[in-house]
Order: sequence, then structure tokens, then C-alpha cells
Amino acid sequence: MRPYPIRPGRLIAKAILALAGFLAVFPLVWTALNALKNNVDIITRVPRLVFTPTLANISYILGRDSVLTGLYNSVVACGSAVLIGVALGLPAAYAVARYPNRFAGDIQFFVLSLRFLPPVAVAIPLMVIWLQVGLYDTLPALIVTYSLLTISVIMWLAIPAFQGVPKEVEEAAFVDGYGAYPVFWRIALPVAARSLAGAIAFSFVLVWNEFLIALMLSSSNAKTLPIVASELSQQGMNVPWGILNASVVLLSLPPLLFLGVLSGFLNSVFRQKKT
Amino acid sequence: MSAIVCSHVDKAYGATSVIRDLNLAIEEHEFVVFLGPSGCGKSTLLRMLAGLEDISGGEVSIGGKVVNDLEPGDRGIAMVFQNYALYPHMTIFDNIAFGLKRQRVPAAEIKKRVEAVSKTLGLEPYLGRKPTELSGGQQQRVAIARAMIKTPKVFLFDEPLSNLDAKLRNHMRVEIARLHQSLKTTTVYVTHDQLEAMTLADRIVLLKDGVIEQIGSPAEIYRRPGNMFVAGFIGTPNMNFVEVTVGRSGNGWTLTGAGTVLSIAGQGYHLQHGDRAVLGIRPPDLKTASADRGCNLLQGTADLIEFHGNDALVTFGSGGKEISALVPARECPELRAPVRYTFDEQSIHLFDATTGLSLRKQ
Repeated sequence: MRPYPIRPGRLIAKAILALAGFLAVFPLVWTALNALKNNVDIITRVPRLVFTPTLANISYILGRDSVLTGLYNSVVACGSAVLIGVALGLPAAYAVARYPNRFAGDIQFFVLSLRFLPPVAVAIPLMVIWLQVGLYDTLPALIVTYSLLTISVIMWLAIPAFQGVPKEVEEAAFVDGYGAYPVFWRIALPVAARSLAGAIAFSFVLVWNEFLIALMLSSSNAKTLPIVASELSQQGMNVPWGILNASVVLLSLPPLLFLGVLSGFLNSVFRQKKT
Repeated sequence: MSAIVCSHVDKAYGATSVIRDLNLAIEEHEFVVFLGPSGCGKSTLLRMLAGLEDISGGEVSIGGKVVNDLEPGDRGIAMVFQNYALYPHMTIFDNIAFGLKRQRVPAAEIKKRVEAVSKTLGLEPYLGRKPTELSGGQQQRVAIARAMIKTPKVFLFDEPLSNLDAKLRNHMRVEIARLHQSLKTTTVYVTHDQLEAMTLADRIVLLKDGVIEQIGSPAEIYRRPGNMFVAGFIGTPNMNFVEVTVGRSGNGWTLTGAGTVLSIAGQGYHLQHGDRAVLGIRPPDLKTASADRGCNLLQGTADLIEFHGNDALVTFGSGGKEISALVPARECPELRAPVRYTFDEQSIHLFDATTGLSLRKQ
């Protein structure tokens, strides 16, 4: 086969793609690099690509109790909220998808409306509620609040995933003698697993990055990592850029790991056997 | 004892009635085909037998037991779906074994039975694969294996061949026929393809708008259609219908219509002078008339000739009515040539013009 002649149109398209890719990736790379720089190397007039790397920023971050507490809070709050979201959201989504009643449409709209409201409108009443209950600034309050988000997001994304499972496949299982619950566990869940995993990962990333509600619901004990990281920038006139960048890297790692593990898991489950 | 009995079965979705007061008895070991145009309720009826649709009224019993409120798994049935409905996340072995696992059959026996069934259907090389790695015909065979392994009282097939290409469809049709010959399991088979129905069925149940139009063996339905719908639905190419007026003439009867007068003895029919009737005659029953023949002629100019290989379908106009005749290809006339056809009285059908019911004496 002859190679395609290189036409200017293709060239321009590739250049635009390369530029877009660069715009997307470069800030991340630069942040990661800055996390390894001394402050002098960061605030130079000419950006430096060659520098003496240092782990000082990272060890400073990991050495601070507030950061470690924030990390712990984030992992516990987000992990628990995602687990609750999976445990309650997936069965709810399946019920709405497969056994719709006259409220199914309303349920879907209500779930979606939780994401329409400006977060402040949700956060202030929640703050008052938790203050009254006496759970303000505790992890349980944060877990319950985040569960509202994860359940709604997981339901919203899982309903079409379950609807995508061919109805006849479930009916075949009914004919094979299985009841509604085994059909959910052994047919609907595994068949829809790929899309469901995406929904779960998305809900995790959403609460991990959540800032405003965490800010309103915590004052000292239950601060999550995004709150702690933002506080690092409020340490006076001299902005500690290296430390800030290091905290951003720390903040970004768990979602990346989570997605990596998840996609690896999915690939191993669904890899087609080559014959 | 009949294997399946439906008595006064109704099905309605809200105010829309899909099946009305349906009565049907299917004998043991029988192969019954539900045939009808789309939307006639044949698949709904099958799904009601399977337990996948609620029964709105009446009673369905399988093997002498009323199954109205039984779950699909407790009815002793197995079903093959149009799109195969294999479990996509399981291997072929697990697909076939899934039903037995539910029945808590020991693993060693499951293995033995899966191997036996897959040997019958030639699936042995594929047991470790996933459904997506198989061709359509192989997937259909897995679906049949999954149904067979449970040794059900009744097989239900829901248009199982309509997703296959024509050649494979013929092949699988023969396989299903062989399977029924060896297993003798009572089978209900839904299709809209009359060729499948004619070749497979012991009896055909012809449905239209949720009502049974006729039940009978393929030959009965073809030779003695009970009404105009059945006559028009069964048989390719379609039956010719000509509106005629019945007249008395001596000992016989005349039929006037399509610009001609036909005379018949009419002993097998309920006829009355002056009645409006519809004459039905199948294209293969029209024969080229010899030159000296003077009566019972349908003649006109050949407007359209479709060459089929052995035969040719000649369409001509007679008294403003389009009539088709299927003649041997060597007798095929030129386009726009005059044609003359005649028929045997035994091969005609007469229907009441208003009710559409056959006028044939029972």
C-alpha cells in the first residue's frame, strides 16, 4: 500500500491536536516538576527545566500532622461514601431500570436535581442540621453528606447501564429458574460491570475533589485534604510554591491510583480470549 | 392428556386487548407453530406460556398443572430466544450449565450432561469460549443446548431463526426438525415465516389480532383454508381473489366476475343464487389452456413476468383484476402476449364476500 501523501489539512489537524495535548498535559508535568524544586528554582524569571531536585517539599508535606489527618479524613470519608453509594445506589438504580413504577421518572428527576442545585444551597442547611444534631465537624457527618452525592451520581449513571443489559438475557435466567435477586447478582451486575465501574470511579473522584461542603462542615477535626491543601497557601506573604505543588501532587495521586487499579481490573476481567 | 391447555386466555395491557378468549390444547410430543403477521399476539402468547408475561384472564396448564401463578423456572419449560440471550459474561460451558446449577445437580453430573448435549449439537470445541467469540449459528446452537439440557416438558422457541442468514436458517431448521424427531419433546414454536411453519409443524395455529383464525396441519391449512385471511396468508405466491356473483344454471352454478363467466358443479359448497362471493385460486393451480378449450377461462395480456428458475409467475389483467399464474418456465409467454389459463374445480376456494368465511361444506 502506498503511503498517503501528506496534505496540509492533515498537517494542520495534527498540529492542533498536538497543541491541545500539550495544553492539557503541560500544567500537570510542570506541577510535578515544581514539587521537586527549591523555591529559588521556581520563582526565576526564566523557567528552569534543569535544576537540582529536592525532596524537601514532599517530606515537609508528609511530615505535617494536618496533612496526614486530612489524607486520613479524605480516604475514610470518600471511601465510606462510595461504599454506601454502591450498596444503596446500585440496587436502587436496578429497581428503577427494571421494575419501573409510576414514580420511576420522579425518582430519576429528584436524584438528578440534587446535582442541579448550587452546592451552597445544599451546604448551609446541612451545616445547620449537623450543628443541631451535634455531629458538626465529625467524619460521620461528612460520610453521610457525601453519601447523598455518591448515591445520586451512581444511580444517575447506573440506570442507563442496567437498561443496557438485554432484557432477554435476564428472562433467560428467569426461565433457568433464578429469582429476581440472583438475576441481579449473577446476571445484571456482571453484565453491566464495565459501565458501573465507570460510575463508581466518577462518584469517587467527585467527592474526593469536593471542596465547598467539606469547608462548611468542618472546622478542625474533619478537614479533608483539599481544605488542608488550600490552607497551605495562606501562610503569609511568601507563597511556598514548592510545598503547594507537592500537596497538589499528593492530592492527585489517589484518584489516579483508583482509576488505574479500576481500569486494570476491568481489563483483566473483560480481556477477550484470543483464539 | 394434553401437554398444554389454554382455556379462555386473555391478555390486555391496560385498555389494549392483545389476546381475547383463546382456547387451545396442545398434545404431548406435538410440534405446534404459532404463525401470524407481526403484532398478532403470537410472541405474547408464548411468553405467557413461559411465565414471562402475566395472564390477564383464563387459565394455562402445562402437564395437567395450572401454571398461572408459577415462576418461569417452576413450569418445566425451556425457551430459546430470538436474539439467543446468552449470558455474555459466562463461557459456553457455564451458559449451558447455568440452569442445572440452580437445580443443585452435582458438578460431576453437570459436566457429563453438558458434554453429552454439546456433542449432540457439535459444540465441544467451543465450551471454553465466550458467546461473542461464536458465530450466529453457533450461538443459536448454544441457546438450544441450554434449553435441551434441562430435559424440559416443553420447548418454547421465539422466532429462533430470524436473526440468521437464509442459508443458515435452512440448515438450522432441519436441525430443529431432527432434534424434535429424536427428543419428542412437546414444542411450541413462534414464527412469521410460513415456510418454517409448513416444514416444522405437526399443527399450525394461525393467529391474527389475538384471535385464532385456524388450527390445523400444514396440509389442511393450505388445502382447506377456513377464511380469506388464512387463504391469503398461507402460500407463496399469494392466492388470487376474484369477486364473483353466484348464479344457478341447470344442475351447476355460474360465477360471474373479472370479465368472465365460470361454470362449476359446486357440490362441495353452500351456494345460493345471487350471492356475492370471492373466488380464490392459487397461482400454481392455473394451467395453460389448450387452444380448443372454451369454458372456465381466465384470459388477458401478460403484464409482468417474474422468472423463478423452474417456474415463471405471469401476471395478467382480466376484467380490471390482476391475476397471477405460476407456470412452468418453458410455457412462459412473451411480455404483452395474450394468455389463457384454466383450472380444475377441485383446486378453487370460495368465500363469503361479507364474512370472508369459506363456503366449503364441512
